[in-house]
Amino acid sequence: MKCRILILVFCLAALIGSAAGQTKTAALRPPSTPDIQGIWNFATITPLERPADLAGKEFFTEQEAAQHEKEVLARTNMDRRDGGAQADLERAYNDFWWDRGTKIVKTLRTSLIVDPRNGRIPPLTAGAKERQAERQAANRGHEFDGPENRPLFERCLILQGAGAPTTPTAYNNNTQIVQTPGFVAIHNEMGHEVRIIPLDGRPHLPQTMRQWKGDSRGHWESDTLIVETTNFSVKNSFRGSGPDMTLTERFRRLDADTLEYRFTVDDPETFTQPWTVEIPLTRAPGPLFEYACHEGNYGMRGVLSGARAQEKDAVEAKRPSK
Amino acid sequence: MRRKVMSYRLRIWVLASAAFVALFTAMPGNGQTSPKTTSQIPRMPDGKPNFTGLWQTLGTAHWDIRDHSTQPGPFFQLGATGAMPAGQGIVEGGEIPYTPAAAAKQKENLQNRMKLDPEIKCYMPGIPRANYMPFPFQIIQSQRDIAFVYEYATSNRVVNMGTFREAAVDTWMGTSNGHWEGDTLVVDVSGLNGNSWFDRSGNFQTDNTHVVERFTLGDADHISYEASIEDKTIYTRPWKIGTVIYRHKEKNAQLNEFKCVEFAEELIYGHLKKK
Repeated sequence: MKCRILILVFCLAALIGSAAGQTKTAALRPPSTPDIQGIWNFATITPLERPADLAGKEFFTEQEAAQHEKEVLARTNMDRRDGGAQADLERAYNDFWWDRGTKIVKTLRTSLIVDPRNGRIPPLTAGAKERQAERQAANRGHEFDGPENRPLFERCLILQGAGAPTTPTAYNNNTQIVQTPGFVAIHNEMGHEVRIIPLDGRPHLPQTMRQWKGDSRGHWESDTLIVETTNFSVKNSFRGSGPDMTLTERFRRLDADTLEYRFTVDDPETFTQPWTVEIPLTRAPGPLFEYACHEGNYGMRGVLSGARAQEKDAVEAKRPSK
Repeated sequence: MRRKVMSYRLRIWVLASAAFVALFTAMPGNGQTSPKTTSQIPRMPDGKPNFTGLWQTLGTAHWDIRDHSTQPGPFFQLGATGAMPAGQGIVEGGEIPYTPAAAAKQKENLQNRMKLDPEIKCYMPGIPRANYMPFPFQIIQSQRDIAFVYEYATSNRVVNMGTFREAAVDTWMGTSNGHWEGDTLVVDVSGLNGNSWFDRSGNFQTDNTHVVERFTLGDADHISYEASIEDKTIYTRPWKIGTVIYRHKEKNAQLNEFKCVEFAEELIYGHLKKK
């Protein structure tokens, strides 16, 4: 009997001890990482590069910004009918279908490029110019031969702005971040692309393995998520970049509804200096929609059959009439 | 000598008590199953099972979710590598309860598989097919939503764990709403566009198909997967599939890219290319 009471006392003591231990463990846990989760919108009418007429001007005043927004929206309005049939055709979809945003970035910058200070992509190296010229020459005269001659976005392989890095474009400017200890997933609505970023310090893939969106590794540096991406495929290129580009992205919460996104392109074989872009992302209600580009790619069929029809017409036209 | 015996007994009591305490403290609060299972599975800070990881289903359900014998493949050039291996099906009870018209449609699908199977064209696979294709998929589980990212065709879905959200439009991967039933993650999938198949044998669904999936961690490295499928327009009753999903344990295993569009272009657009 005495023995049983002793056991009970021992068990209770052990339980209390274990509860105390748990509290201690919780206290010893590293401070929680910043929360960058949610759906973010990065639509903006601020261009990547500073337009020539704004050379030397890094920031707008509030007044100038409002005026600029008005001008841009009027100029890009696809519902205008003041240009004749050809302009109507080129304006393609009605304004309803475009979702470029209506505002310039919150920072009032005149370009998304913040470094170099002129807001322009640095000049290409001689090697990169040569590479670009060769690629263009190889496709010249064959632009409509087959799908492999068409741009990647028409083929639904890598869509505009889908990354890596992520940049604003005509629509689908939404991204969803899902975060857990050890991993961050960045889901871009454009092209239903997800990048999975391990945070466990593992090495990059071997150099022989190349991917369209590269191979990303991340870590936290105080309040900032830093993602380094390498191992790009030669088939994909960001503004002329080569497969050995190192892309460094930084995500930092500025306030409840703003996530600052910065990335640096470092590719000495292509650009004469590294360059950096800054885009403030704004919290959005969502949800993201599935962008099934390839599954509904009637555009490719249209482009290729149009080209074949034109060739046929040209042959017919050369035939002597009866 | 007597003292020694006492201390031996005491040691047993101490061990037994420690075991009791360990068992007691390992038991989570909200009505979960046996302590053995619960102590072995990874959990989120809030106690919910944690499915984060790289997963893949083994077997041949991607060829045919029903029982099937070994069969030759469509191209003799591929020899043994192109053949279809035998496999026990994952359909509960063995049969898909098609209506007569739907059964005929499945046969027709199978006969025209090379033209009709969305997988061949690199189209998004839909649910449940994405879960048992011969490719890995990654689950990233946050305290809120759960991302499922599939290697095949850059397909994915984010399971909404918040307030139930109606499907706004029909899509290839559907709209996934999740909730917990004990330690089981239940995912309700609606808004499927009906273009997806279940396998390479023409088993199919429509835009009325409603799928409810159940993910349960049997231990740290195995998910017991079950999906119930309902569609009055083609099935005479609801039916179920069930299989096991395995965790990739290789060092640094990761989801790689399988952007297959370029492999399907000749097939889809070949007839429109310049001759």
